[in-house]
Amino acid sequence: MKIKKLFSQKVTRLVTVNKKITYAQAINQGMHQAMQLSSNVMVMGQLIDYSSGVFGTTVGLVDKFGKNRVRDFPVAESLMTSAGIGAAIAGQRVILVHIRLDFMMYSLDAVVNWLSLWRFKSNKESNIPLVIRAIIGKGWGQGPQHSKSLHSWFAHLPGLKVAIPATAFDAKGLLLESVFSEGPSIIIEHRALFGLKDQVPLEPYRVRYGKAIIRRKGRDVTLVSLGYLLVEALKAANTLEKKYGISVEVVDLRTLTPLDRDTINNSVKKTGRLVVVDPAWHSFGAASEIITSIIEKNLKHIKSKPARITLPDSHTPMSKNLEKSYYFGDKKIVSKILKIIKV
Amino acid sequence: MINHKNILRTGKYKNFSLKNINKKLAIKLYSFMLRLRLCEEALAEEYHPADEMRCPVHFCSGQEAVPASLNYILEKKDYVFSHHRSHGYYLAKNAPMKKLFAEIYGKATGANSGMAGSQDISYPKNNFFSGAILAGASSIALGTAIALKMKYKNKQVVVTGFGEAATDEGIFWESLNYAALKRLPIIFVCENNNYSVFSPQSKRQSGKSISEKAKVFGVKSKAIFGNDVCLVYRELKNAITNIRKKKGPFLLETFTFRYSGHVGPLSDDLVGYRSNKEISFWKKNCPIILLEEVLIKKRYLNKKEILKIKEKINSEIKSSFDYAKKSEFPSIKSWNDLNLSNKTPLADKILKDLKKVNFDEDQKIVQPKGY
Repeated sequence: MKIKKLFSQKVTRLVTVNKKITYAQAINQGMHQAMQLSSNVMVMGQLIDYSSGVFGTTVGLVDKFGKNRVRDFPVAESLMTSAGIGAAIAGQRVILVHIRLDFMMYSLDAVVNWLSLWRFKSNKESNIPLVIRAIIGKGWGQGPQHSKSLHSWFAHLPGLKVAIPATAFDAKGLLLESVFSEGPSIIIEHRALFGLKDQVPLEPYRVRYGKAIIRRKGRDVTLVSLGYLLVEALKAANTLEKKYGISVEVVDLRTLTPLDRDTINNSVKKTGRLVVVDPAWHSFGAASEIITSIIEKNLKHIKSKPARITLPDSHTPMSKNLEKSYYFGDKKIVSKILKIIKV
Repeated sequence: MINHKNILRTGKYKNFSLKNINKKLAIKLYSFMLRLRLCEEALAEEYHPADEMRCPVHFCSGQEAVPASLNYILEKKDYVFSHHRSHGYYLAKNAPMKKLFAEIYGKATGANSGMAGSQDISYPKNNFFSGAILAGASSIALGTAIALKMKYKNKQVVVTGFGEAATDEGIFWESLNYAALKRLPIIFVCENNNYSVFSPQSKRQSGKSISEKAKVFGVKSKAIFGNDVCLVYRELKNAITNIRKKKGPFLLETFTFRYSGHVGPLSDDLVGYRSNKEISFWKKNCPIILLEEVLIKKRYLNKKEILKIKEKINSEIKSSFDYAKKSEFPSIKSWNDLNLSNKTPLADKILKDLKKVNFDEDQKIVQPKGY
């Protein structure tokens, strides 16, 4: 495979060096760099070649890499995912942009019956280097068909890697890692995060799968967070420390599969308490899996019963006021942890 | 118009012609079909009561003409994506018979070490893939055609073989649309055997034939009698040559019939879904018999030579059974590695690990406005 020298071209046209950039811009930068690093990288998605560029994440790609490699696709999500699989079999590295995860559900057959088991059924001989960027809305009345974070569905399937980056740094690093690794990946992108800013290194770097990160060290309770809830978790930890003297260790999972159980385990051994915040429905979700697998190994270290803080087992309401009671933020995390510590 | 109802009225097939088919090719086509038929019959014979083959097998006896033709048209670099009735396509891509047998027996030496079985078998080395969920393989084939068109100088083509029931599925028509829109190097080969398990096409599909519908999408097409292997060969050869010349996708609908039940070695005709008239028409017009009659008449082959071909095939079948039966069952070192690769050679080469990880936690999520 031909690897092009990255800095020979104007990769920086859309981003400024040494300046904070947003989560969306970080993804955009990752996309540009991936396409520049290898001529085998291609992108498929609806409306990816218009100036708005899928919330800014695909801006400039078509001008630089052309319509062959940057393909606006018909409203045929099912075919798009299958086509991505087929192109990857023939040697392409494919990034699929599913502008809304809800629409992507048309491609469940492709994901469940083909993509996830392709390597398995070929006995490791045929791999599919395909990345699905699945974008999820929140708020402003997105309602039940524009807001579902189905990361635990995908994580339940063997044969798929699932990332759920919370920061601009991770969004770029995980995208590049996914594009240049062998297995299929789904990156869950919460649109609420697209405006968050961070210092993002200009060079092409990687964030590995299965490596959680401790965002804040603490002694009294381990708080595991997924996706956009990291911001709320850190805020809650701050309040608990300042107001109540409770020291919270915040673990940002970054990827759901492979799941970094070691980092959580080590943290729980120290704190004796485990709380998981998951931006998804309550039952049968990621939070349940994390708690179960940690308790199974670590019961003797547990000082109080674990907790999961999640959305209700309900579809998302449209109405502004109901959205407020449906979603939660730092306050709910604080009150839940206070209850646990009292117990 | 050709359809399953009209075909039955035509009696014994009379239009057989060796046009553009020389003696050597005719014998090759015959030998391939015979090899496939004897292979299927031997597997079916051995299936019960031994019960050592423990996977669903969809036998393709009666549907030999397309795989036989493809075997002599395609090159190794071309791709084939097949439906669950896969053995013909597998052999068409020159994948070894013994590895097919070992796969069905669930052995480590099988084409996929016993992970896939008959209906999901693949032979990636020769660009052969299959799968059981209808139209899924065709839509993946479409994606391969996208990639091949991006490297057109290789002049590779993609073949997707499917039954008429795959066109019940919506994604099939999504694939046709995109193939025509982008003039992709793909040939859709519909082996129309009239039945989705027991259910006839007329009960499931309205309007015009599959090949007529394809034209509406902008895909050139043709419907032919599918048990005339020489006709099938000529049409496929012509279409694939055109595709290599960038003339865009093609759909060939070949009307044919499976002699076996939908799945497994036993007949399912007790269900009564196919009439005696239909069965006897197709038996009379067996693709192998139709060609054999001409070969003998033309004196390209005599009975003795045919016996010799059969002996050679039977000895390959015997050694394939021996290979499959003597092979070890697979063992799993790591379920995890089997499903997902932990290695990232390319990422290791071109991406850096950074020590410093940035996140400015002192910021607020601002709700995006509008949609």
